[in-house]
Amino acid sequence: MDVTEQPRGSEPRDRLLADRVSHQGDEFAFRELYRRHTPRLYAFVLRLLAGNELDAEDVVQDTWIKAVEKLSQFRWESAFGTWLLGIGLNRCRELFRKKDRNWILLEEEVAAVPCEPLHDRIDLEAALTELPPGYRTVVVLHDVEGFTHEEIAERLEISSNTSKSQLSRGRRALRSRLSSAPAGQVRVP
Amino acid sequence: MTNDTGDMLTPEERAAFTALPKTREPSRLAEERTVQALAERGLLIDGRHRGRLRGRIPLIAAGLAAAAALFVSGIVVGQWLGSHAVADSMAAAQHETALEMAAAVQRTGSAYVTALAALSQLADSSSNGAVAQGREAALTALYAAAYELVQLAPDDPIAVTIHDRLDDLRREQQTEDQQSVIRHVVWF
Repeated sequence: MDVTEQPRGSEPRDRLLADRVSHQGDEFAFRELYRRHTPRLYAFVLRLLAGNELDAEDVVQDTWIKAVEKLSQFRWESAFGTWLLGIGLNRCRELFRKKDRNWILLEEEVAAVPCEPLHDRIDLEAALTELPPGYRTVVVLHDVEGFTHEEIAERLEISSNTSKSQLSRGRRALRSRLSSAPAGQVRVP
Repeated sequence: MTNDTGDMLTPEERAAFTALPKTREPSRLAEERTVQALAERGLLIDGRHRGRLRGRIPLIAAGLAAAAALFVSGIVVGQWLGSHAVADSMAAAQHETALEMAAAVQRTGSAYVTALAALSQLADSSSNGAVAQGREAALTALYAAAYELVQLAPDDPIAVTIHDRLDDLRREQQTEDQQSVIRHVVWF
């Protein structure tokens, strides 16, 4: 899936609302734009931040501030929602970088796990939160949001080979966590 | 998904990822905080509104003073009405219809805001249809009230600004609705 595809149905409304916000500072238009896109942005950011709701709400707020500041520069060559996710991703990267400059390349020893199908009842969401941010970000971008390795490479300023290797390691780490989860503690996501 | 590595997802894993929720609502306060932060940065101030206000600061000050006077007189009226026997009040109201109407505006205004606050508390409930209906009714009442305020005080800059803005938004909404009907006709 190419996430830069334009969702034709919603784009004219987004554009109309964005123009009102950008040119008139229209609060009503902003609130509608906010309600159209924040649920997806918040879910995305919350997942990247391993379920930290306070940080996620701060990131969502910062994302909208940055977005409104830069609305006039947005060329509408991608969907508005995708552009917004990109800004949110950058804000998350800044948070990760504060803790470790090499966060994206941070590796952990992952035990080899036989490539057996995962359980029907898995707590994938919980397992994602346990991954190091570098793995989690690539897995979320690729396997949850559908970004290609080229898109991930561009957004994270890494090579596509690094994206591929981080995805592979991230998936192994995820399988390791899921296979070690006690059956009684797992749930359907 | 494209460009998978050799470490492919199994169909079950792919299904598990697909089943993850893609949306989630933040807390209700998050929207208000964001709007406030944008307003503090001057990013959500209406340019036309600000232009109008800039030249009308004395008028707005007068309007605010008038609003304060109305509020104080409303309290006085309420106390006056409350301090008299019902029969006396009724008799007086027949001769003081403006005072009676001012008190009625105060009472119904409070009831309107209280009802809206109660509706807001139910906004997350499953009665989305009823909440939307209430919101629609509140907006219609707001517009009608703004119109009457302008009739009452055509020179009040606050009333005129509120009415004009609501009128603009209503016209835009009607135009959009008409356009969507036209598109519907063309496509089908």
